[in-house]
Amino acid sequence: MTLSEAARRRLKTEFQAIVGPDGVLTDPSELLVYESDGLTIFRATADFIVFPREAAEVAAVVRLANREGLPFVARGAGTGLSGGCLPSEGGVVIAMTRMTRILEVDYESQVAVVEPGLVNLHLTQAVQHRGYLYAPDPSSQLACTIGGNVAENSGGPHTLKYGVTTNHVLGLEVVLPDGEIVWLGGKVRDPQGYDLVGLFVGSEGTFGIATKVVVRLMRRPQAVRTFLAAFGEVAQASQTVAAITARGLVPAALEMIDRITIQAVEDAYGAGYPRDAAAALLIELDGLAAGMEAEAERVVVACRDNGAREVRVARDEAERQLLWKGRKAAFGAYGRVSPAYFVMDGVIPRTRLPYVLDRVNEIVAAHGLRVGNVFHAGDGNLHPNILYDPRRPGEEGRVLQAGAEIMKVCVEVGGSISGEHGIGIEKQNFMPMIFSEADLATMARVKAAWNPTGRCNPGKIFPTSKSCVPGELAYKPHPIEERGLAQRL
Amino acid sequence: MTERVLYERLAEIVGPPHLLTGVERGPYVFEGRTPRAVVFPGSLEETSQLVALAAEEGIPVIPWGGGTKMTLGAPPPEGGLVVGTRRLGRVVEHEPGDLTATVQAGITMAGLQAALGTKGQWLSLDPPFAAQATLGGVLAANASGPRRYLYGTARDLVIGIRVVGPDGAVVKGGGKVVKNVAGYDLAKLYIGSLGTLGIIVEATLKLRPRPEVDRAVAVGFAERGRAAAAAAALAASDLLPHSLELVEGGRPGLFERAALARSEVGLLLGFDGIAEGVAWQIEEARRLCLDLGAETFEPLEGAREEAAWGFVRDFSRVAFDDAVAAARVGVLPAQVGGVLEQASGIARGLGLRLGASAHAGAGILALVVAPAGAMEENVILAAVKALREFRELVRGLGGHLAIEWAPLAIKEQVEVWDPPSPAVRIMQRIKAQLDPKGIMNPGRFVGGI
Repeated sequence: MTLSEAARRRLKTEFQAIVGPDGVLTDPSELLVYESDGLTIFRATADFIVFPREAAEVAAVVRLANREGLPFVARGAGTGLSGGCLPSEGGVVIAMTRMTRILEVDYESQVAVVEPGLVNLHLTQAVQHRGYLYAPDPSSQLACTIGGNVAENSGGPHTLKYGVTTNHVLGLEVVLPDGEIVWLGGKVRDPQGYDLVGLFVGSEGTFGIATKVVVRLMRRPQAVRTFLAAFGEVAQASQTVAAITARGLVPAALEMIDRITIQAVEDAYGAGYPRDAAAALLIELDGLAAGMEAEAERVVVACRDNGAREVRVARDEAERQLLWKGRKAAFGAYGRVSPAYFVMDGVIPRTRLPYVLDRVNEIVAAHGLRVGNVFHAGDGNLHPNILYDPRRPGEEGRVLQAGAEIMKVCVEVGGSISGEHGIGIEKQNFMPMIFSEADLATMARVKAAWNPTGRCNPGKIFPTSKSCVPGELAYKPHPIEERGLAQRL
Repeated sequence: MTERVLYERLAEIVGPPHLLTGVERGPYVFEGRTPRAVVFPGSLEETSQLVALAAEEGIPVIPWGGGTKMTLGAPPPEGGLVVGTRRLGRVVEHEPGDLTATVQAGITMAGLQAALGTKGQWLSLDPPFAAQATLGGVLAANASGPRRYLYGTARDLVIGIRVVGPDGAVVKGGGKVVKNVAGYDLAKLYIGSLGTLGIIVEATLKLRPRPEVDRAVAVGFAERGRAAAAAAALAASDLLPHSLELVEGGRPGLFERAALARSEVGLLLGFDGIAEGVAWQIEEARRLCLDLGAETFEPLEGAREEAAWGFVRDFSRVAFDDAVAAARVGVLPAQVGGVLEQASGIARGLGLRLGASAHAGAGILALVVAPAGAMEENVILAAVKALREFRELVRGLGGHLAIEWAPLAIKEQVEVWDPPSPAVRIMQRIKAQLDPKGIMNPGRFVGGI
């Protein structure tokens, strides 16, 4: 949609009347910041970035966008990894980052009501003095927002035991795509009617914009044990994962990290991971103190039975935090070994882990690339990070090709094309790999019930073309880059 | 289409032995509504064909699992096609190494748990009437039991679902893996939809290893306030009970004559896991409950343990021999004690006895009323008044009340569902999109859906 300068100026004034004079960005240099999310291979430019401060402002912005026929999409911290908050058809980006309050905490009923721009970790930090926490812990939790977590149904390492975002959201105040504000669910469980809350979580911003989120809080476990197991072969590590599940152990978290990642992490943070291991497992048990030792022993035995060279237990909270930092900040550490990396997200049955990891390595090598694996092995949620140099001609195309082949392997073994990052733009053309025409038609009808005009976050989730490799929004160098005046780092 | 032609078409699809017409329809006549025919498909394909035929002819479809929740919602339409799922009862796939299983919807919950138990696993869901209720029905009604406190409900346990939609097409949501965000979470839509969006024919479930040890404890109190306080203290402690039930009234002596006969109200607690952890929790719970004024604290075993769980799970049907209606209530956990206080006052004032069984940690209660003495026709009037006053009480607290079961005479005077929230228009639009002809269980659900 191309707006004339006059229309642009007029609309800017109208948006400012809603959100205040400092709540609207239209300058090209400012719009640049919002061109992509965490998956920088895709970019798209909005016409306006708008910063509402409360639900009524969000609703007014949506009504104005509707009046002008402008598409709109909500954005939290922009840490997403599937292009979900990209303004793929221009229009308005509604940034929720001014709505960050904790509105209510009811410790007796173990619920809290928060605004969607609240940073995930800040919620846990706000309630931990009373011994509570908010369980879904994406690795980006230092930056990502609750609203974004709702849109993507975010996971994280501890969701192995405690469930993902949808298992912790009881209610939502939502601005519907027509601008009406409505409550779905609430603090009381089992609301009558269809589970609109469960349907909205993970709908990737295509059903409306959440303006309040009612979440379930959990009591902090009495005891925790964190282990690091080192293996000389990747296969041993992945067999240990299967063994732990098969032996009826339910860890709170079970993560795998490979050699490339360990070396990058150790260079960056010195977190204590074994540099010479082919792979390491970060395993955490939590729960009652009574019986914890017996459980811990069973985990150690499972590791040793499958060839672990070393199994270390964190001696104190500081050591535990350092081990987790190494895991959660791993993606960032890749900058030391590669100018760019493509974060993948696939999920497979746990029992197929050894086979799939082998295939991933084969596929990546066949395309002349390298891969770093750091992921939620306990629930089969893989994150092969394909390392590449975007300045080398043709490299990006091979990355996307390798990615498509990895997705096919996940589907072949009975898995899915996204464990937690969402479909967004990145995987929309892979949807027919796992869903039939009837499945997609049903989803399209459900979407039409919420979003009849299609103006709320268009161009996401559903396939746009027959090809399985997304191309339209792949990286195009900025004119400044093309003229050699600036460089992508 | 004439009856004869319809029966021929139906018989062609399922085979004559699996078609019931005439007096054989007896068990499926419900609340005075007689179905046109009752069919039992033996495959997904047959189910599809049946629904497609019904859609073509504009015949309402009434999915029927074990029939245990037929009373939920408004009465079924007259002249519908009852589609029974009991022949679709296979465990299609059980992957113990992945802790997942794909199961057909017509299996009973008891049958499912027995099958999973052969590999030392279970589905951590304990809804009522396990011997008759089917998996599909449990999902369609979003039925749950005491263990929801620790393990969640169906929406936390279903990772994939297959439904025969209102046009006969088979629709799938989710998949076979425990983490999956591809596409919309259709399982959440179908769970609790009471058959209004299609017939659930298969589900893929997230399983758990059977715990080493599972123990129940009955705790008796003389006063409701103390029981509620103990429940709150347990919920705020480090203990991890799988069940935290507050029970009041109902047939005396079902917990255990010696333990609870003297008490007016009791807690039924459940702990599972490794032996050491369970033993520690029971000791801590004992200390906490006795400090808060418990009269008795008694670990249960064997038949008495089974009976206690059966009593709280099936409470809405077994609380009294002469119960006249039951309601399902949702409030905040902190409000449970207050609701019991006020509800029992309402019941007493109307000459009724009240039985209540609450999932205290979740804020979900079953309220059951029975006559206090010889009341005859007046009992219907009293029950109607009681349900209306319960609803006013609960809604005043921000909660909700639905009629779980009641005779037609009561349902005709009290709405089964609360006045719908503004969100109902989204529900109606979803229904209109997926079932434009309105053939799936029409009129039974919230908002007239």
